[in-house]
Parts: sequence; structure tokens; C-alpha cells
Amino acid sequence: MKHESVEINSGLLIVLTLVAISIGGLVEIVPLFHIKDTVEEVKGVRPYTPLEQRGRDLYIREGCYACHSQMIRPFRDEMMRYGHYSLGAESKYDHPFQWGSKRTGPDLARVGGKYSDEWQTQHMVNPQALVPDSVMPPYPWLLSTELDYSDIEQRMIALKRTGVPYSLSEEEFRRNVEEYGEEMAKKLHIPNAKATLEEQAKSRNWDGDPSRVTEMDAMVAYLQMLGTLVDFSQYEEGYFAKFR
Amino acid sequence: MITDVFAWLGDLGNSKQLSLVIFFVTFVAIVLYVFTGKKRKERLESYKNIPFLDDDEGRPVSKDNQGNKNP
Amino acid sequence: MSTSAAVATAAPAEQYNYDIVKKFSIMALVWGVLGMLAGVYIASELAWPFLNFNTPEITFGRLRPVHTTLVIFGFGGSALFATSYYIVQRTCQARLWGGKWLPEFTFWGWQVGVGGGAILYMLGFTQGREYAEFVWQLDLAITVVWVAYFLVFTMTLRNRSQPHIYVANWFFMSFILAVALLHIFNNLAVPVSITSLHSYSLFSGVQDAMTQWWYGHNAVGFFLTAAFLGMMYYFVPKQAGRPVYSYRLSIVHFWALSFLYMWAGTHHLHWTAIPDWTSTLAATFSILLLLPSWGGMINGIMTLSGAWEKLRTDPIMLFLITALAFYGMSTFEGPMMSLKSVNALSHYTDWTVGHVHSGALGWVAMVSMGSMYHMVPRLWGTTIYSLKLIYVHFWLATIGIVLYIASLWVAGIGQGLMLRAFDEYGNLAYTFIETVTFMHLPYVVRAIGGMFFLAGMLLMVYNLYMTIVGARRTVGVNAPAAAVAHG
Repeated sequence: MKHESVEINSGLLIVLTLVAISIGGLVEIVPLFHIKDTVEEVKGVRPYTPLEQRGRDLYIREGCYACHSQMIRPFRDEMMRYGHYSLGAESKYDHPFQWGSKRTGPDLARVGGKYSDEWQTQHMVNPQALVPDSVMPPYPWLLSTELDYSDIEQRMIALKRTGVPYSLSEEEFRRNVEEYGEEMAKKLHIPNAKATLEEQAKSRNWDGDPSRVTEMDAMVAYLQMLGTLVDFSQYEEGYFAKFR
Repeated sequence: MITDVFAWLGDLGNSKQLSLVIFFVTFVAIVLYVFTGKKRKERLESYKNIPFLDDDEGRPVSKDNQGNKNP
Repeated sequence: MSTSAAVATAAPAEQYNYDIVKKFSIMALVWGVLGMLAGVYIASELAWPFLNFNTPEITFGRLRPVHTTLVIFGFGGSALFATSYYIVQRTCQARLWGGKWLPEFTFWGWQVGVGGGAILYMLGFTQGREYAEFVWQLDLAITVVWVAYFLVFTMTLRNRSQPHIYVANWFFMSFILAVALLHIFNNLAVPVSITSLHSYSLFSGVQDAMTQWWYGHNAVGFFLTAAFLGMMYYFVPKQAGRPVYSYRLSIVHFWALSFLYMWAGTHHLHWTAIPDWTSTLAATFSILLLLPSWGGMINGIMTLSGAWEKLRTDPIMLFLITALAFYGMSTFEGPMMSLKSVNALSHYTDWTVGHVHSGALGWVAMVSMGSMYHMVPRLWGTTIYSLKLIYVHFWLATIGIVLYIASLWVAGIGQGLMLRAFDEYGNLAYTFIETVTFMHLPYVVRAIGGMFFLAGMLLMVYNLYMTIVGARRTVGVNAPAAAVAHG
């Protein structure tokens, strides 16, 4: 075949260009969908509860990912600052992933439990009151806005379609009981969603006012569980290295 | 023997080495094609004048502009 | 060709569909001003956080995708539609295919997509994927628009009265195809319901990250590079009045770029939870990318070989050649930053942001501006209102870029070094907030750099507005004479 025919045949130009641009993407991405080693086998990782998932939705709505990463790299300074480096498995229920690409603020992959609920709420309402030099915008409306969870079941069904193991049937529920324990399985059961969301919102004093379910409740609930699912003391040093 | 080769080719994990080879061969072929042959050189270089063919401002005059206007 | 003689005698405005090119050009200017304004505003928010004013719609997190969408898809996209429609018609000597309504549809579809997307981000509706934040309904609409664009472009190519397809059109074609692939695969999602603006991405975690950065990197590679190279391969020779340095180099350039770019996306994910081999592969290909990138830059700049004095007399040439110089610079910086050891420091810092802007402002914006200064007077059959203002614009833009890049080198490298510093006891030397305090001054300088660039953009709008108004006033009197009058 002469290159000339490419130059004068637009159809051929289209086909060959498509081939050229497809190969790289295929080689890089396709194996990741096949190779099991890509994601570590690790205990503890579970889907988000309805309240946490709504908090995650708000995290995305406010564009937090523009300034905060959720991906700790295996460097001495990062592990001292943020904790154990992030595992692929820890974001396997993240639709979409929120690893981020920029740290205008610190990494949040393991922010869960580092600060009190009260600190998180106050910091969100007015960051500069707690950290004077912070450049983070204030988010007071999270505290004053009631959380909209009218479509929580639909949201969970959509996530279920992507592969998140929320349960609809009794059988799926029982499988979750085995996998995550009865208490958690109830929270992951879609027909229960509204009730368990309210229950979780009131179970703890997330935003300081247990009488209402606000957006702040959801946001703090999400932040406080980030990076807390895997108990790293259970694994030998070097166990995770073989998956890299 | 030959089945080993097929097995290697069929393994998705080897796709990167394989496509690297394919790419490299193709690329070298394109470079060789483009940069060999005096006639081909003249023909290819003549295409550089296409933007000036419909000119409302007249064709440019330059000394490296030896390519014939159109085959 | 027997037809080309006849073609040349027909008035270009009747021969070609210039109406659609004019519309896209004007919208490129509008989105350019709005998008850069949003950019200056969010840069200022980082320097002076009170500017968030406790208002959800204008907080940094919501305005940032507004900025990126308006400058990339609004300004860059409209400029690409305009120039690709202009170039494909003139190099094929064929009128744009699709009659009046199909190109018109691509115009309105694109503008509604960009504008609608930006408004929805401010209201809090986003997919949370960088540079692909559009809600799913808009994603579908954009796909339809893109198919229409592909048809218009390809069918115009098929109707050409030239046997050969000029290389600029190859770049546009690979841009259209690649963006279609990227857009479709990166936006696969399950909607919450038909009436909901929300959706969840089909992939999660590692796979989602790979897909997103395959998209993110190649959006740069094909939207912001290949397509603008198409622009370059037409407007640099036209403005210089001499053909491109080497046509054969441009062929090799095209195939090498089309092939290599797609491999490199994973360098955005170095040291994260992806398999190491993908990282190494991406770094290798990123280094290889230097070759076609510099090949293209050399091809563009050497077009001026033997006519360097044009740089002194022609400010439009100055824009185009400086754009190529910045292209060369950022395509050197990019592969360097893709080395895993450098990336360990630069990733997550403002060095990346500075790198993006040396490409976005220095290359993409400046080559578009040069092309617009060349094209707009020809579209309206007149000459530019003021050459002096183009000079002023050039210097405002250049000073702005230098301030921007230099301040973010300081911010990024400084922060990277502070975060990994240890004291004599092996503890971390700095808290995170200490690095934020350190970055205040660079952030102020960066915002000022952005203001310079925006000021230049406003000057361009004024200059082109006066050009168009001047053309309208003289139209019907004696167009060719008017063209001479301005000088």
C-alpha cells in the first residue's frame, strides 16, 4: 500500500488514524480490567452507607477534588504526614474515583478520625477561624441546608448497576450479612435506605444538632470514615508491595 | 514450538511488547517511505503549496519552492 | 486542476461558508474573555480567600471547572471549529458540506453545551471528573454535535477539488476521532434516573482513574495539541507567505504524534495505586513524545527560515512563532515532569498548574490569537484595525505568561521541597499550613500574571471589534480600497 493512497483517501486516513490512536489506550487500560492483581485482597473495604454516599455526592458537588487528593503515595514524608499509603482496593467502590491531582489543601485519604466531628463542622463553616492562614473557602450552607435524600434509593440502585454490592433482594442481603456483618448489611440494604440514613445521622452528633439531618451531617460522616476501613496492623510489612 | 509463539501472542499481558514491535516497524516504514526516493520527495514537497492555491493574495515566491504546482 | 482556476476567480465569501466561521470566531472571543475572567477570579481566591464571599456559586471548587470548561471547550473549542471550517474549505477549495443547517447545528449545539455546562457547575451539578464535568445529558448532546462535526468535516474533505489532503486537515481529523473516543469512553455512567442530572461513573477506583487520565492526558494531546498543530500548519505558512519548511517532516510528525500520545496518560498517576509497569511504560512514551513535539516545533519555526525579519515587522508572526517557542518549552518540561523521580516532587503541586498554563497560554492561546488576527480581517474582507494594539497585546500576554509560570515554579517546587523536608530528629520540618503560608506571595504574582493576560485578551476583542465594525461601514462602498486604507 502506498502512503499516497492515505493522503488522497479520506476513509483510509480515518481508519489508520483510529488504529494509531487506539493502540496505546488499549494496551494501557485493557489489562487492568483483566488482571486480578491490580487490586489488593484486603479485608474491611465496604460500600458507603447511604449517609456517607450522600456526603460523597456533596464532596463532588462542591468540587473538593480540585484542591484535595485522596491518594497517599508510598513516600516517607507522605506516610508520616497522612498515614499508610493508599491501596487500590480502598477506592474500589468510588464512582467516580476522587484521587485528585492537586494538593492546595492536604490529602484527605485518611482524614477519618483525625479530628473531632465538632472540629470538622466548625472548620467547614469557617476554616480561617481554626486555621488562620488557610485559603479554603467557607461552606456555611452545609450546616443550614437540610439534606435532600429523597432519591437515595435510586442513587443506590444506580450504584448497584455499576457493581457496588448494595442489596435489594433477601438473598443479596444475606450475602452482605456474611460479608460485612448484620449491622452494616442493614445499612447497605436499599429498601431500608431512608430509615438507616436518618438513623445514622442521628446516631452521632455530626454537626452538633441531632434534631435535623443537614448536609453537614452527611459531609462529616463521609470525612470521618475516609481511610478507616482497612486495619493495617493485621497485615505483615511488605504484604501490599507485591501488588504494585 | 509454534504453539508457544501463538500462546505468547494470545496472552493479553504480552500485548504491550507486541504492540511496541508493531508500532516500531510501522513507524520505521513510514519514515523510510517518506524520506527515500527523489521523485517521492518532489511530489510530497509539492503539497506544501496547497494553502496558497486559492489565494486571493497571490502565490508566494520563495527559492525553496521548487515543487511543481500540481501533479 | 481545471477547477482551481475557476475557483480562484470566484469571490471567497460566496465560494465558502464564511458565516459559520465568523460565528465561531466571535464566540471564541466571548468565551475567551469569560473563561480567563473566571481564571483570574479563582487565582485571586487562592491569594485572597475572602473573595469566596460565603457564596456557593462562586467558591473555588465550583468556579474552577467553569474556568477550565470555558477556556478549553469555549475558547479553544470555538477557535478550533472556526479555523478547521476555514482551513478545510480553503485547502480543499470546496464549500462546507451540510448546507446551512448542519454547520449551524454544530454551532448552537456547542455553545449550548459549553454555556449550559458552566451554569450547571455553579449550581452544583457535575460528574466530578476533571475536564469532563459535564452532566450526562450534556455529554449525550455533545456526542451528537461531535458526530455532526465529523460528518461536516469528512464530507467536505470528500468534496475537495484537490487530489491531496493538506496535512493540517490530517491533524484536525485525528483530533475529531480521538476526542470522540475519549469523550465516549470516559463518560460511561449510570444515571440516577432519566430526570436526574446526577449519574455515577461506570468504572471505579483504579480502572476509573486510568480511564480518566487516559482521557485527561489525551484531551491535552489531541484537543489542545494536535488540533492546534493543524491551525499552525495552515496559518504559519500563510502569515509568513511561504510554504511550510518540510512537508515530509510534517507527515512523520503526524503519525508519530498520533501514535505516541495515547500511551503516555498514566504519567498523571505515578506512585499511586496503579501497577508499576503502567507508570514505567507511560514515562518511557512521554520521553519519546519529545521527538515529534520538537519535530513539529522545528518545522513551524523553520518555515520562517530566510525571512526572520518578519518577526520585527509583523506582530502576528510574533504571536505564532512565540507560540511555537512555548510549545517547545512545555513539551520539554512535560516529559521531564513525567520522570518518576521528578514527578514525586512535582505532582500535586502548582508546578503542574504552571506547566499546564505554559502550554495553554503560551501555545494554545497564542497560536489561536495569531490565527484570529490573520483570519478575522480576511473573513470580513478588510484589514486589521491596529497593528500597534497587536504589539501591545503581544507584550501583555508574554509578560503575563512569564509572571504566571515563574511564580508557580516557585510555589510548586518550593512546596514540594518543604513537604519532604525533615529536621535533624527525622520529623517533618514543616506542617502543611506552613507551605500554604509560603505560597501566598507566588499566588499574588500568579493572579497578577493572569490579569496581564486577560488585559491583552480584552485589547484583542477591542481591536477585532473595531476591525469588524470598520469592515461593515465600508462594505458596499469599495471593499478592496478600504482594505488598503487601514494599513
